[in-house]
Amino acid sequence: MAENAPSASTPSVYEARGLKKEFDGGKVAALRGVDLDVREGEFVAITGPSGCGKSTLLQLLGSLALPSEGSLKFRGRSIPDMPDPAHYRSHDIGFVFQAFHLLPTFTVLENVQIPMFEGGLTKSQRRDRAAELLESVGLGHRLTHFPSELSGGERQRVAIARGLANGPSVVLADEPTGNLDSANAEQILDLLLKLHRDRKVTLVLVTHDLGIAGLATRTIRMKDGRVVSETSPSTPSPANHP
Amino acid sequence: MTFFTIVTRGLMRRPVRTGLTLAGISIGIAAVVALVGMAWGYEKSIGKQLDVIGIDMIVSNMGGGIMPKVFDANVEEKVASLPKIKETTSLLMQLISVEDAPMIMVSGRKWGGFTWHQLKVVEGRMIKDEHEPAVVLGRLAAEVLKKKIGDTVLLDSEELNVVGIVDGGSVVENGAIILSLAVMQRVTLNEGKVNFIDIRLQPGTDKNGVTETAAEIKKIFPEGRAVKASEVVGTSQGFRVAQAMSWSTSILAIAVGILGVMNTMLMTVFERTHEIGILLAVGWRKQRVMLMVLFESALLGLLGGILGVLLGAAGLLILETTPAIKGMLEPDLSPKLLITSVLIAVVVGLISGLYPAWRSSRLSPAVAIQS
Repeated sequence: MAENAPSASTPSVYEARGLKKEFDGGKVAALRGVDLDVREGEFVAITGPSGCGKSTLLQLLGSLALPSEGSLKFRGRSIPDMPDPAHYRSHDIGFVFQAFHLLPTFTVLENVQIPMFEGGLTKSQRRDRAAELLESVGLGHRLTHFPSELSGGERQRVAIARGLANGPSVVLADEPTGNLDSANAEQILDLLLKLHRDRKVTLVLVTHDLGIAGLATRTIRMKDGRVVSETSPSTPSPANHP
Repeated sequence: MTFFTIVTRGLMRRPVRTGLTLAGISIGIAAVVALVGMAWGYEKSIGKQLDVIGIDMIVSNMGGGIMPKVFDANVEEKVASLPKIKETTSLLMQLISVEDAPMIMVSGRKWGGFTWHQLKVVEGRMIKDEHEPAVVLGRLAAEVLKKKIGDTVLLDSEELNVVGIVDGGSVVENGAIILSLAVMQRVTLNEGKVNFIDIRLQPGTDKNGVTETAAEIKKIFPEGRAVKASEVVGTSQGFRVAQAMSWSTSILAIAVGILGVMNTMLMTVFERTHEIGILLAVGWRKQRVMLMVLFESALLGLLGGILGVLLGAAGLLILETTPAIKGMLEPDLSPKLLITSVLIAVVVGLISGLYPAWRSSRLSPAVAIQS
């Protein structure tokens, strides 16, 4: 939050320059040259209207897709050139999606263990760690339930616990409250803020809700595949005053 | 939860489809077990028969067909005069339809030859002399033909008395109608002809001795061939054809199995594109996703293999009791065949999973997760 704002001298977690992403062989341009810096421990909100490219930007940050042009670095390492992008996805970042994306045939406890298969943990270590994470998001009593038996808010808490499975230093959240009612949305937001505050996790959150964006250290506004403005506590905007 | 849990959960998503695929692969494997089990069983049964009688070498003219061609009986005398040969006897054997039995071995044996020695009379008596128009039946042959002492058996156009039922110590012997060579030659209009000479070698005859003897027999009887008892089945044209047919049918069954499993696994990968996208997004390596798909299809193969072996074994046991097979051979249900069949099924599963696994690893996490 504003009082925790890292200074400009804090090292960059992400550094993007001239980032472009095109689809259909260049017919559709989702990103048209984005420059972006995210520093350690920041909470950056990316906002903008639907189709502005904010989710695409998050996918590139999460190495779920590759940029068409430009450079994108994570702690100085080029993301598109990473020899083992799966390791980056499983250990350095945690992804939280709007649609939760839980595996329906696995219990809550099993869903959280899924990323841990790349972590070299034993069966009991995986189980204990998943139970501990679920406890920390308030779902200790739901371990053996299937996703279909949970409310939307509970599912998103499972997804957050899964995102933290291998102890990442960055959480990328794509409209994490988009599918939730206001009460559940508030709980999820509190949980993400707590993570950011207590675990010193760098949080990059895509939202079209300016109220949520106002809680961030910095807000990046996008339009038509470009960053159109950046708002930080030192440059207040109406969105920073809930 | 282990990786195996994830693999089994994948198969349990669609139990009906998994069940049908298992049924498909198990029928294929059952066919392998039944057909190869019969071919191997035939080989084993003949081997056992020769062993029980104590035959070291066999001379015949394996020109073609299931049974060898007839030749002059006087060849035996010439063969018997060779140095390493201890004893010989000759036979005229035919595999023919007798009354209600579709195929039965009729064995005319030279009177006094060593092929009579191991026969134990279990009911009735032995044939009195070489001209008595009578037969003894192996125990299984008596069962198949539904004959008892005092009945007659119609061989070609002549009715011969059943005077005894014998135990020959092997399924082939027990499945045969046995009579004297002279009567067999007369009934089948093959006067002075035989189609087998069975040989016992001098004790201590080594491999070279066998080869030399075979070469000398070739000189005496150029159209014939002398083979070691242990190789007699392998050199039989009929057996080779039967074996080739059983393997080619098996390969066809296996190919159908491969297509079935591949179809299921491809459907699985297509249906689970979204799930695979999630796995990739949360950091699973492509190799792990591939391994998951491969393990699923290998597990399908393993389960189908086990089921198929059980089905095939049951089928063979039933076949063994049918009149067409009874007394002809003892199906081979050796661990070697059962393990080989299960291994084939696992390999079928693995091969079937290769392409679907490769497809799954080619998915882009961003695209897959949105599907």
